[in-house]
Amino acid sequence: MTLLTDATRTQIRDLMARYPQPRSALGPALEAAQQQLGYIPEQAMDEVAMLFGLDAAEVRAFVGFYHMLHEHAPGTYHVEVCTNVPCMLRGAGLCAEQLKQTLGVDYHQTTADGLFTLDEMECLGSCGTAPMVAVTKRQANWMRYYEQLDSPQRIGAMLDELRSLADLPPEQLPVPERCVPGEQPSGGPYHHGHHADTDTLLARIDLPDSHTLAVYEANGGYAVARAALADQAPAAVLDTVKAAGLRGRGGAGFPAGMKWSFLPAGSYPRYLVVNCDESEPGTFKDRLIVEYDPHLLIEGIILACHAIESEHAFIYIRGEYFFAAQRLQQAIDEARAKGYLGKGIFGTGKTLEITVHRGAGAYICGEETALLSSLEGYRGHPRLKPPFPAVEGLYRKPTIVNNVETISQVVAIVRNGAAWYRQWGSEKSPGFALYALSGQVKRPGVYQLPYNTTLRQLIYEYGGGTIDDMPIKSIIPGGLSMPHLGVDKLDTPMDFESIAAAGSSLGSCGIMVVCEGVNIVQLARRTMGFYREESCGKCTPCREGGTWIEKILERIEAGEGQVQDLDLIERLTWPIERQSFCPFGAASVWGVRSLLKLFRGDFEAYIAQTNPAGEGPVLPVRPIYRPDTGEPAPNLRV
Amino acid sequence: MPDLVTITIDDVEYKVPNGALLTDAARQAAGIDIPVFCSHPKLDPLGACRMCLVEQDMRGRWGIVTACTVRVAEGMKFRYASPLAVQAREETLEFILTNHPLDCPICDKGGECPLQDQTLKHGPGHSEFRELKTHKEKRHPISDLILLDQERCIICWRCIRYLEEWEDKPQLGLYQRGNDTVVDHFPGQPVDAKTSGNIIDICPVGALTNRVSRFRYRPWEIERTASICTHCSQGCNIRMDTRIHELRRIVARPNQAVNDDWICDKGRFMHAFADAPDRLTTPLIRDHKGGELRPASWNEALGLVAQRLAFSADIHGSQSVGALGSARLSNEAAYLLQKLMRTLVGSNNIDHRGGAAVLADPRGLNAIREVEQADVIVLAGADPSEEQPVLDLFIRRAVRRNKAKLLIIHPRRIEDARYPGVYVACKPGEEVPTFNQLSHEMLRKEAVRDRSAKLSGFAELEAALRNTDAVSPDINAAAALLAGAARPLILYGPAVVSGRNAEANRAALLNVALLAGCADRIWYLAPEVNSVGVRDMGLLPAALPNHAPISDIAARERLEKLWGAKMPAKAGLDMDAMLKAAVAGELRALYLVGSDPAALGPQGEAALRAADFVVVQDLFLTASAQLADVVLPAVSWAEADATYTNVERRVQRAPQALNNPRSQAAPDWLILSELGKVWAAFTAEDATESKKSKRKSGEAKSWQYTNAQAVLDEIARAVPAYDKLTWDALGDEGRQWEAARSAAVQPARRLSAVAAPPAAADRAAWPYVLVTSSQLFDEGTLLQRNAVAAQVSASPAVGISPDDAAREHLTDGVTVMVASVNGSLILPLRIDAAVQPGTLAVARSLAGAPVETLTNSFSDGAGTRVSLSAQKGS
Repeated sequence: MTLLTDATRTQIRDLMARYPQPRSALGPALEAAQQQLGYIPEQAMDEVAMLFGLDAAEVRAFVGFYHMLHEHAPGTYHVEVCTNVPCMLRGAGLCAEQLKQTLGVDYHQTTADGLFTLDEMECLGSCGTAPMVAVTKRQANWMRYYEQLDSPQRIGAMLDELRSLADLPPEQLPVPERCVPGEQPSGGPYHHGHHADTDTLLARIDLPDSHTLAVYEANGGYAVARAALADQAPAAVLDTVKAAGLRGRGGAGFPAGMKWSFLPAGSYPRYLVVNCDESEPGTFKDRLIVEYDPHLLIEGIILACHAIESEHAFIYIRGEYFFAAQRLQQAIDEARAKGYLGKGIFGTGKTLEITVHRGAGAYICGEETALLSSLEGYRGHPRLKPPFPAVEGLYRKPTIVNNVETISQVVAIVRNGAAWYRQWGSEKSPGFALYALSGQVKRPGVYQLPYNTTLRQLIYEYGGGTIDDMPIKSIIPGGLSMPHLGVDKLDTPMDFESIAAAGSSLGSCGIMVVCEGVNIVQLARRTMGFYREESCGKCTPCREGGTWIEKILERIEAGEGQVQDLDLIERLTWPIERQSFCPFGAASVWGVRSLLKLFRGDFEAYIAQTNPAGEGPVLPVRPIYRPDTGEPAPNLRV
Repeated sequence: MPDLVTITIDDVEYKVPNGALLTDAARQAAGIDIPVFCSHPKLDPLGACRMCLVEQDMRGRWGIVTACTVRVAEGMKFRYASPLAVQAREETLEFILTNHPLDCPICDKGGECPLQDQTLKHGPGHSEFRELKTHKEKRHPISDLILLDQERCIICWRCIRYLEEWEDKPQLGLYQRGNDTVVDHFPGQPVDAKTSGNIIDICPVGALTNRVSRFRYRPWEIERTASICTHCSQGCNIRMDTRIHELRRIVARPNQAVNDDWICDKGRFMHAFADAPDRLTTPLIRDHKGGELRPASWNEALGLVAQRLAFSADIHGSQSVGALGSARLSNEAAYLLQKLMRTLVGSNNIDHRGGAAVLADPRGLNAIREVEQADVIVLAGADPSEEQPVLDLFIRRAVRRNKAKLLIIHPRRIEDARYPGVYVACKPGEEVPTFNQLSHEMLRKEAVRDRSAKLSGFAELEAALRNTDAVSPDINAAAALLAGAARPLILYGPAVVSGRNAEANRAALLNVALLAGCADRIWYLAPEVNSVGVRDMGLLPAALPNHAPISDIAARERLEKLWGAKMPAKAGLDMDAMLKAAVAGELRALYLVGSDPAALGPQGEAALRAADFVVVQDLFLTASAQLADVVLPAVSWAEADATYTNVERRVQRAPQALNNPRSQAAPDWLILSELGKVWAAFTAEDATESKKSKRKSGEAKSWQYTNAQAVLDEIARAVPAYDKLTWDALGDEGRQWEAARSAAVQPARRLSAVAAPPAAADRAAWPYVLVTSSQLFDEGTLLQRNAVAAQVSASPAVGISPDDAAREHLTDGVTVMVASVNGSLILPLRIDAAVQPGTLAVARSLAGAPVETLTNSFSDGAGTRVSLSAQKGS
């Protein structure tokens, strides 16, 4: 008896045909199996392995890596509550408690009626609308974000709605747009703003049906790409982007035009991979573009692919961005139907295919080489560099990996020219960026601002200041991975160089505001917990060191800390930063180390208060040194 | 000369090969042993463990890099001994040790553990880790042979990478992620790669342990003997670890020419026979037919053997005595056995299974690792995955790294048929038509015609193939593949050149090789450990040592001079003929050394029962020994110095590693030389009594050997190809004999028209062709003694194609009878997609099912026809 139906098998074969190498479809195929079965039992893994010609061990290894693939069946609804720092700062703890009490279950448990399985989750890209949960309906191909769950009423309204939807067939479920329970309207783009002169990226998103091709074109869409493909050589487009000094928006800030110029001459095919894995806690800017202006991204892709002479682009979108992926696919289908994608786009001889590839839940896949591993159908482990992706990337072909915002920016740059772009920002960080503001501010959201805008301007002018006008304790200026800055750095301009000079990094422009009153030990522990959870496990320092630091912080939080633990944590951060395989290692410890540096007094006070005797931990004695030949029965476990 | 560049390590300049990994360059040029865990010279760089950290100058800024992934280039500067580099390595070790259980006192790896060694040399000396360790499974079987301790594992991926990169069987993977990451297999699908045990050798900690050897040794207590494996013709180099008269463990010993760093699981795990409690420990004598075997002294037993063999030769003529050796005998044993038969008994009735019946090319392979240079590898009648797993690793490497393609011509769709290339189904007995069709199709290619038109025999071949029938698409594809190959290589197994079609098969295959342009790269894949060597030693009825035919007077005279004795000029009987002659009463006495015909079915048993006198020299009381009049206890390869000649004619040493003080068993060479001395003394005595004796009298001094090396010294004189191969000269890695030095006649380099043998009659009564297949883990004498063998070997069954099973309305597992004109077997049916329609497959050497019961002879692979019927009540 096979588990997978013929329909699922056909679907999987179709998925395999979408990629230059079928193995890339492994994740989507497992997702298809999960849609049919509700989870992925071992037999299903075996059957999928057969379809792909893989060893079952490879499939199980893949499943085990990605959080969205389940080896055990969840309830009808998988309710995942984000407790990561941006949500935590806005009451995720209360939200989670409320859910536990209302449902009568703890994390990893399912309600008696089988309706709800509750789990703790890492950042889902709703930091401006925190706290939030992501709800997945089993076998319904439906996943929705419920946001701003800051009251028992909203949580209750959400659960009521879910109960009312429980028996509906999948096609009658509501559009899975983000939802603030009990509010009308409940969806639409979340809060955003811009500097008066720089409204290029978010200009359309408030228009009704902004995501459609009709609206996009009515507002000047595709004109730039159409003109460029007709009139400009690839090198001309590349030169424009290079001259504009457009810096990558994924976190490293590497100049995009320069990256494009690293492609080895005469080597084809080349691929463009758009990184929409937006998983850095505190970062939620790409989601806004993809959900409400997907054609902007598509036009950017057309221009970028023209510049780098690629005929196949992939958009790697994190699996949790379910609605965004739907919108993106709809937009691609529309553009394709109009002849803007596919063969002979805009009536030129150009060909361009865009494949949307959904991730399956792994932060590390935002790292470009891990992303490529994942896109090829492997566990998302980072790869050795060199060779760099531009030389040997996807399927070992020259590949450019750029962030959604980076590619989206290309449209305005090509339209208006490099000089136009350079009138904002600084010499080394020209132009403008989308800043995602979250944490304890009045108006969290996404703001398009020039690079020289200061933190103070963002927080007070655009963000409306802190909640209840509490004093600021620290600011994370570039996503959770970046070091905290003290309140004395409020007047730092938010460009790569100035933030670096202040002792942190601009990263992905996710700015989180932490106010006085936050428990710093808890903040540090939760920060480290994220990196322990998301470490891929490939290299020793990150795998072992991160866990170690988290264990120490947990112990301190539990009242068994000693002052010397703080020195130990600090010491351990250095080798993790210095010696890890990929930048994840460094990112995992910067936050904690900066907290120790800025607020050592807070840690010491906490320890003094919770462990006044200063006693160390009591460890059980282990192991027993006796050769135990009592092996399991000769038959292997099944 | 490699392109050298200058690099700097700790302010000292070194010249190193450009592009080398820094770990290798530092070791070779600077003698700096940079510590590693995940890095392994035979695996692709990974850079995961972060143990090999050094500082590198990056345009004026020093940064930490992994030496195992940096490829050196001109002007690179590194610091290995700098405080930061030292500290970085200490910190990595500190991290590795946090969750490692440190149960070294009871760990098999303790004492030879890279983690211990690196901790000693590079460890921080203390740990500040005060948290609970992460607990995982400590006794987790990943197969019947290997146990995994997930707590000891440091996630270096070596095991995973080995199975991926060498075995191409990714049966182990990383599951979960981050600190929860574990190595595991898929539930219900244990690791079954044939060389899986190598992951134990390369595991840098004690995470993977050998279930056969677990807790049976401490590395510092064992004696280590460099030896070779004797389970197949590869002759993989091994190390035998012994202690207190027991063989505790076998590990791989690197020999890049033969086995790289690897051995197969049969070689590693299946050695319990050496220590088996039922080993023969004393000579046995049966005083009268029908009586019991009783223990006897060596003097009594050898005296009796000499007396009875001499008696038989005297009374019934020397042709009434025959000897069967084995391709598992050492060179020394085979040499002395044939010398004894030829000079003392005066008979050329000398053979071994797979001997005279196989038209073997004595040269074997030119070099095993040549397979890695081929772009198309033809496997004709060979199944390396089951027969030579380490050779198969090299073939897989060629396929995966060098994009080689495989052309497989075999009765079964063997495992390697999964690779790019072509599989041509070829039933036993249909080799000639298959090869002819292939030649025919190749002749249609312009390029093939161009290069072969000048070959002699071209016109005849073309004319003969003119009427070839339309061929299958497989043949078509095979011809295209071979015709387009730049550097093809043909390997053929004994099945192709055995039995009555051997000549024709070989000639037809040689045509293919000539047309493919690889007549100098067509090699015979000898099956057993010393298949090549025993032929070199003349353990054959019609060939002398060094392959001279028995009719070669000069060769005979040379040997007679060396041996100081005369030998018969007439070729002797081969194995089949001897056993038939025994049944017919013409062969009266049989001397069996490592040969067990009674286990091969009723015919063999009948022969032994019919003979007047049977001597069996073996390790165990085999089926034949149970019928013998005298049983001589021999020792295993582990207990005697000996040499063996492998598939690429590499002569290798297998020194004594073990002795059993409670046993009187002796090495074959010693038994034979003692027998020779007894015989010589006995016949000398006899000769004085009766001048009329026609027997040739031997001289006792020509049987004086102080040790096995002395026998080898004589072999060097008897076999010119071995003349420089003394014990010392062989060293630990052996030496190949020069192909040109052999007297063997090579097949002519000409095309020839080969007619297909007539098809077997009475296809209606016997609708199937029998395929005798190989499986690595069989149930032969040596494997039966291993507790784990029963778990890993497949039980006897008859394989049938899914199509035939459906047509016969038979389901998997039903009991069936397979019958031929020779006999029948009752076995469960196994539906197997590898089995081709029209054939039934039975594996060799499975307990209770000697496939030889069915075959026309003991060595003729050419298409025994069989019938199949369901048994009632099943």
